Amino acid sequence: MKRTILSVVLFLALGFLLIADTLVIKGSNTVLPIAQRWVEAFKKYYPDLAVTLEGAGSSTGIKALFNGTADLANSSRFLKSSEVEKMHAEKKYFVPIVIAYDGIAVIVNKSLPINDISRETLKKIYTGKITTWNQIDPSLPKKRITIYSRNTASGTFETWENKVLDKERMAPWVQMLESTQAEVEAIKRNPYAIGYVGYGYVTEDVKVLKVEGVAPSMKTILSGEYPISRPLFVFVDLSRFGNTWPETNVVAKFIKFIVSPEGQKLVEDAGYVPAYPTTCSE
Amino acid sequence: MKRFLNFLFSSVVVLVSICVIAALIGIFAMLIHESLPAFKKIGWEFIASGAWYPTYEDAEFGMLYMILDSLILVGLTSVVVFPMGLGIALYTTEYANRREREIVRSVTELISGIPSVVVGLIGVLLIGPFMLKIGAWTPFNLLNAVVSLTVLTLPYAISLIIESLQSVSRDLREAALALGSSKIRASAMAIRGAKHEMLYALVLIVNRVLGETMVVLMVAGGAVMLPRSLFDPIRPLTAAIASEVGEVELGSLHYSALFLAGAVLLVISAVITVTAETFIRRGKRWLTG
Repeated sequence: MKRTILSVVLFLALGFLLIADTLVIKGSNTVLPIAQRWVEAFKKYYPDLAVTLEGAGSSTGIKALFNGTADLANSSRFLKSSEVEKMHAEKKYFVPIVIAYDGIAVIVNKSLPINDISRETLKKIYTGKITTWNQIDPSLPKKRITIYSRNTASGTFETWENKVLDKERMAPWVQMLESTQAEVEAIKRNPYAIGYVGYGYVTEDVKVLKVEGVAPSMKTILSGEYPISRPLFVFVDLSRFGNTWPETNVVAKFIKFIVSPEGQKLVEDAGYVPAYPTTCSE
Repeated sequence: MKRFLNFLFSSVVVLVSICVIAALIGIFAMLIHESLPAFKKIGWEFIASGAWYPTYEDAEFGMLYMILDSLILVGLTSVVVFPMGLGIALYTTEYANRREREIVRSVTELISGIPSVVVGLIGVLLIGPFMLKIGAWTPFNLLNAVVSLTVLTLPYAISLIIESLQSVSRDLREAALALGSSKIRASAMAIRGAKHEMLYALVLIVNRVLGETMVVLMVAGGAVMLPRSLFDPIRPLTAAIASEVGEVELGSLHYSALFLAGAVLLVISAVITVTAETFIRRGKRWLTG
């Protein structure tokens, strides 16, 4: 009896493995809200598909692509030169698909009487040359600035490092948070805090500052007027498909879906700027 | 048949114990093996400098501040947890009646079942805003970590200390009371009688706090700096490992440095344990002559 049950279970498990297609997506925390919407909508077309989605950071996704533990890697930055070299050395072929644009919004608590900040000031805050708010503007409170940053796994951190810090080091008292949601939550509760998050994560609970006089919006991010913006990518490893573009498997179907008007509409829903049209012209 | 079963049983037991020992040695070996490249490259600078910039172009891997952060946190938490635990344990063993004892026991058991991530959430959502109210410049700081860790380890401390107090024979206490000493004196006798067991308990508590990761990751602040006040944010070694190991490139210097941080934790814990044990052994020898 026991043996029969066991063999039935084994058989079912095996059958499940054989029938169900799987799709593993890993990577950027910033792309996560988009990817969640994609996966939800995509599953309506392919109900049998088992999708695993993780958003632990861009580097994590690209690492998983190297290890073969992910089919697609979401990334909020392009490959690093070390990754390109490693890719060549391992004879892999990662292809980037630009799927959206994102502005990095600078956020503060709603009660703080500041609306505009320059990139130079941001750099001074994050490198530790400015420590209290009244050093920026004497009318601001004489309180120490609580500075939040994403941890080093985040693509947002890397973009910030490149576009704001000019590769200079952050002050030791910058506090690293593990997720963007945690950052928004912390700034909502702390009247003297500052932080930076992907434009799609901004909520009603915090105030977005203009940078160099430009507020982040669909228009200013797409036109490049807003100074801290970047493209978002999905990477796929073509060496797994014999270095050709896949056309029939589940990865191919998913990629087609995400750049389709429906997929791009979901980008817009998530609060980012779509890279392709969101409506179908006849 | 019986002999065969006996043989089977003993070989399973032996096999399991060999597995455990092998796993322990394996952990040591892996830590040392993986941290060696970093040690060769960085040298002793990793404990001479506090500059931790692992992802920058010219990366620096100074762990001094994180090591000190860990030690400060462990020290402060133990200073809070141990006396509190001792007080509650004394109350339950010496003064409480049966019902009260039951209540303390079930409450500590209940609290010790709370996962550390939930304690972390309490720290983030409740203690954090309270910190701002009492004038801290950041909600996540040393004090928040100490309070959260106290919540996490206090039940553990209480049951350990109760156990050590119960190891003292009742006769001793009763003899003291019969000789006319006050209840406080009798309690003091019990504490003195259980001092070695209590030192063990302290070591276990210290190791628990030293290794705790989730809570400090969530509420300690995550800033690699030396705290000048209770309100400054800190980043203990465990938090740094947990935060960074997820994204680090396999086999890179940063990866190896994180293992080195793990090895440092292991060394600290070993030093504390061995010191306490020598202390106890010496004390016992002195007692028995």
